[in-house]
This record gives sequence, structure tokens and C-alpha cells, in this order.
Amino acid sequence: MSSADARRNRAVWDAASDDYQERHREFIGRAAPRWGMWQLPESDLQILGDVVGKDVLEYGCGAAQWSILLARAGARPVGLDNSGRQLEHARELMAEAGVEFPLVHAGAGEAPLDDESFDVVFCDHGAMTFADPYATVPEVARLLRPGGLFAFSQSTPLALVCFDVEADRVTPELRRPLFGLHRIDWVENEPVEFNLPQGRWIALFRANGFVIEDLVEVQPPEGASSTYRSAEETDWARRWPKEQIWKLRKA
Amino acid sequence: MTASDHIERNRAEWTGWAAEFVDSAERNWAADEITWGVWDARESELRVLPELDGTDVVELGCGTAYVSAWLARRGARPVGVDPTLAQLETARRMQTEHRLEFPLIEAPAEDIPLPASSFDLALSEYGASIWADPHFWIPEAARLLRPGGRLVFLVNGTVLNLCAKDEDLPPDTTLRRDYFGMHRFEWADDDSVNFYLGYGDWIRLLRANGLEVERLVEIQAPADAEPSRYPALPLPDWARQWPSEDVWVARKTQ
Repeated sequence: MSSADARRNRAVWDAASDDYQERHREFIGRAAPRWGMWQLPESDLQILGDVVGKDVLEYGCGAAQWSILLARAGARPVGLDNSGRQLEHARELMAEAGVEFPLVHAGAGEAPLDDESFDVVFCDHGAMTFADPYATVPEVARLLRPGGLFAFSQSTPLALVCFDVEADRVTPELRRPLFGLHRIDWVENEPVEFNLPQGRWIALFRANGFVIEDLVEVQPPEGASSTYRSAEETDWARRWPKEQIWKLRKA
Repeated sequence: MTASDHIERNRAEWTGWAAEFVDSAERNWAADEITWGVWDARESELRVLPELDGTDVVELGCGTAYVSAWLARRGARPVGVDPTLAQLETARRMQTEHRLEFPLIEAPAEDIPLPASSFDLALSEYGASIWADPHFWIPEAARLLRPGGRLVFLVNGTVLNLCAKDEDLPPDTTLRRDYFGMHRFEWADDDSVNFYLGYGDWIRLLRANGLEVERLVEIQAPADAEPSRYPALPLPDWARQWPSEDVWVARKTQ
């Protein structure tokens, strides 16, 4: 990822942060950890499992709604984000919740954090969406202790291939090639995103010493709602996965 | 063992199709290079196979056993397993012609009469990997492998399966089949049954059987590809953009 992409994404998120936090405040601010666009409970998905006493890095934490809940559950979180405005929202929510933990303002490819200092690195549509995986996956391998867990949610490659940019929604049509999927810069003044075909993800994880434990393809329950996507897209996501969660273990 | 009717149905269809596969058996047995799938992807480029010399290999759904023949010429000791006698008869004729003998066993990949932990490599190219139920053949493959052994198999691409038509026609760009619940596929033009899983279901099934996922190679048709002989497979232009074949590589951990 070029530093130009990191600067662009910082500027876009700094500008969008207030609206974003206002629009999704209640949906993503609930009392127990939930994943993704349909906010499926961690208690059902069991991706992170027991976090008590663990050093946890939220890798692209935004307003740190996840880390606040993990701190309350007994984890020692650190929140990292590329956007200073997002971290200001995080500080407000932390003060409201009465919890304290470190927040780090940095791009995901250059985290000023020590080698092998975390038991868990995770994000929910965070740095693994907005930074280049060829920079972030090696960085996460550096930050994790042996046996540590790397888990993150993101769009599926299929949903990106089927996305209609003009209509701003996913469709039941292949609209662009899957081969070569990597840097996604379709809309001006939106963040640059990154994704890969599934085989490329697996190759990248393996090259960085990760064991692939699971790939959870999220199916929202019937009648699920979202402040992120339309009812029409929820119908699509009932048939084909729109988001996925990788669960990886550092060997 | 599965109570499903698919073993008998696929055996009946393949008994009928076997004569049409004699030409390709002769062509493939005469070839030397190891290639994968309908676009003839070269093993020398994919590198999905482990060292072969001196290893015990079982080919699951071997058909006319040309893959086993390629591996035998590289020092492997293959055993071919297939449920269709007519296909194995072609394989035996090829063995005689090429003076290259190895065991051929008539059995479905869901229930193989071979001892546990006796192979270094289990592989399947459009064999058991698509004609047998993975909830039964994957545990069988895991049982046959020694610790550290590898499973390598090629299936129709997941994106292709979502776009597959009921009739024997190439896919277009419309998603026609649901991803969630993907497992058993039936067709309008014949009585055969195929099995395909989504990416996450493959990963969970492999891991549940002690097989650690090492690679997924999504095969792209080459720029100069000609249309394949199979009318339901994609045209080259489609297969340049989306994966029509997925090769999984997994290692038995214990």
C-alpha cells in the first residue's frame, strides 16, 4: 500500500467520521460484541472466544466500540486507527463507558508496537479492508505471539465482483473479473479498499506462518436489518455471502 | 457409508460414457507432462504435487488412470480406485499397451477396501472430488493417508458452480444457484449427481478430518485457450475472468 493510499484513507475517514458514528451509533453501540454489517453476536459465532487477560489489538478500531466491550470482559485491548477523528470518538465512548486503554494513531502497515506483543489481533471491517494485505498480513504476523489468533471480517471477493458501483448495491451478476482483484478504487472521495481472491488470501496467510482455522461466511438471519446495507442487499446476502470472517492461528 | 442413490446413478452414467473417453485415455496415456484440468494447466507451473519418487499414491476416481500413469513414470507406486468397471477396463488396456502395471480397484471413493495410513498422497482430478459425496470421501482419503501425507484435488470452480445452468450449456455471468447450502447438484440432461461445497465448508470439512489447508489454486484459462470439449464448462473468455477450476492442497497433520 502506498503512503498516498494511507493519506487518502485518513483524509476520507477524518471527514466522514462524525456522520458515520452518528448514523450507526445505536446499531454498533450495543452491549455485547457483534460482527459486521448485520451485527451477528460474537456469542453465536465464537470467533474470538475467551479474551480474559489477553493482549488484544483492534486493528482499525474506529470509535473502539469492540475494544470497549472486550476491556469490560477482562481483555487488555489496544486500539489502532489511521483516522485521528475516529480516535477522538473512541476517547468519548471510552470516557462514557469508564474504561481506559491505549489508542494508537497510525497506518496499519506501520504500527509502532513491539514484536510478539499480542495474543489476539482482530478487526471488524477495519484495517484488513482499508490497507493492503501484502503489508498488513506480515505486520500482524510480527505483532502476534506464537499461537496467537488473527481474526477479521471483510467483504467477500464474490460480493465485490458482483457490486454495481453506480447503483451502490450488490447484484446477482458477475460485473468484473475475480482474477487480479486487489486494490479497489472505484469511487472518488471514498476510501481505497483491498481484497483478494480466496486462493490468494490462503497463499498470503501460509507464506506468513498462519494456520487456517476457519472461514465463516456470514448469512444474516431472515428479517435481519442493517444500517449499512439495504433490505434488497440483505436478501442477496441470504443467498450468497456478502461478508466473511477469517480465523487464523500463528504457528 | 451413504444411503444416497448417487453412487449407482453415477456408475450407470459413466458406464454409458466410458466409450467416449477412450480417445482421451489414449491421448493422455501417450503424453508425459503432468497437467491439470480442462485448460491443461502444467504441474511444472502449479507445483501442487509433493515429491513423487518412491511414494505410495492413491487416485480417487481414477477413470482411465492416466494421472496415475504420469505419476508411476516419476517413480510413484499408484493405486487407482474407481467405481465404474468400464472405465477401469480402458485403464487396464492402456496398462497393457504401455507396459505399465499398477493396481486398479473397483470401488466408490466413499468406501475403499484399502488399509489405513498406507499412502503418502491421495489425489483426484475431476474424479471422486466431484462425483462422490465429500462428507464420505474426504474422511476416506484422510484415513488412507499417512501422517504428513497430502491430499490434492481439483473441482469445478466455486464461482462457476454458482453460475452453472441446469442444461449442458456454458455459464454466463448470472448467479443462478445459492451459495449457502451448496452440496448436491443434479442436471436436466442426464441422471448424474455432482457434489460441490463452498470455500468455508471445504475448509471446515478438511480440518475436521485432520487435514490442514495448505493451498487453494484458482485456475485461470491461458490467453490462447481453445473451448473445452465439455459443453457445460465455460468458454475461454469466461474462464480468463473467473475461476473455472479450484485445486485444494491439504496435509494430514497426525
